[in-house]
Amino acid sequence: MRAPSWAWLAGFGLLPYALYGCASAPPPPPPPPPVSAGVVVVVVLLPDDAGQVGRITLSNPQGTQELSRAGEAVRVSTPEPWHSSQGASRSRSISAPAAPFAMDSEYITRVFGAALAARPGPPARFVLYFEGESDRLTAESQQRLAEVARSVVERRALAVSIVGHTDTVGTREYNFQLGLRRARRVQEAIRAQPVDQSIVRVDSHGKDDLLVQTADNVPEPRNRRVEVTVR
Amino acid sequence: MRATSVIAGLLLTLFLLGTAAAPARAAESVGFVRNAEGAGLVQREGKELAAREGLELVEGDVIRTGSDGRIGVLFHDDTRVGLGPSSEVRVVRYRFQPARGDLAFVLQIARGAVTYVSGKIAALGPSHVRVETPVGVVGVRGTAFAVRIGAD
Repeated sequence: MRAPSWAWLAGFGLLPYALYGCASAPPPPPPPPPVSAGVVVVVVLLPDDAGQVGRITLSNPQGTQELSRAGEAVRVSTPEPWHSSQGASRSRSISAPAAPFAMDSEYITRVFGAALAARPGPPARFVLYFEGESDRLTAESQQRLAEVARSVVERRALAVSIVGHTDTVGTREYNFQLGLRRARRVQEAIRAQPVDQSIVRVDSHGKDDLLVQTADNVPEPRNRRVEVTVR
Repeated sequence: MRATSVIAGLLLTLFLLGTAAAPARAAESVGFVRNAEGAGLVQREGKELAAREGLELVEGDVIRTGSDGRIGVLFHDDTRVGLGPSSEVRVVRYRFQPARGDLAFVLQIARGAVTYVSGKIAALGPSHVRVETPVGVVGVRGTAFAVRIGAD
């Protein structure tokens, strides 16, 4: 697995020519700007959807810079691109990542607006609960079922995963089947919606994927659930 | 005796050839194109596929947008990537088998403007996430960032 990836990396600079150089039918497509002409790379740290800011590093053989505040950015320019697989010897022309600077939000919007708009939103998640050893939804979860179905339609979902779970009462096989029945209960609600049903995947993890860890043969309402992910 | 060893040798050779020549196991989906606007394509084993909504992606895919293109990719671990116009990325390596501890997310950004939000791979094993650029490697500790590669 490593070798092909490495080989590709080594040929990286040649790739644009390999792709566009062999077109024979006129008119030839315009070649993209060659990557090897020298590039400026800017990396900027952004908050995630929840407003959380994490930490990233930019590293090359000459040095490393860490970014830890929203809008903090690092810039590196090079006359000749380098890839990590080429080792340190080919990296002389690349400078170390310079000290981070604050990138103003107008600039971020101007440069990254389209790429930010293109980024998909986070999937929607729902957890629905069940009564006892049954596939009967709790009253509260029954109410939320419509919300789940609506989400599939409104998000124009491309993939819906419905996974049934149980507590640890009973055998593995029994609980696998119970989890499956629960998942199908939720699937019924989506079946009534005007969506392509082939995007819906139903599965059961039985008692193998507990939300709350318990010993075997312990009734636990929080484990009797179906998890729905709408992507 | 000699014939036996020749046959055994032949069989071994055939076996080894067969192993080497066997097509790689059917490429597993790593995620899909969640949204696409304007010109965009996915290059896979020398073929170019239109980057339409719902197109499943596999390891090794190169994803490229034209000057009016935008593409959003949703990976199975919920890592999310956005490509602005005239951008190109390659999915170098992707593994999401948490039960087996098999995790990898290696994305190469070749050009353009690209945004990233980490998913479960970064949450479970940040050291398995690498975003490669022409000037160095971005290491991720669970967060969102953007990269722009422009002409000098």
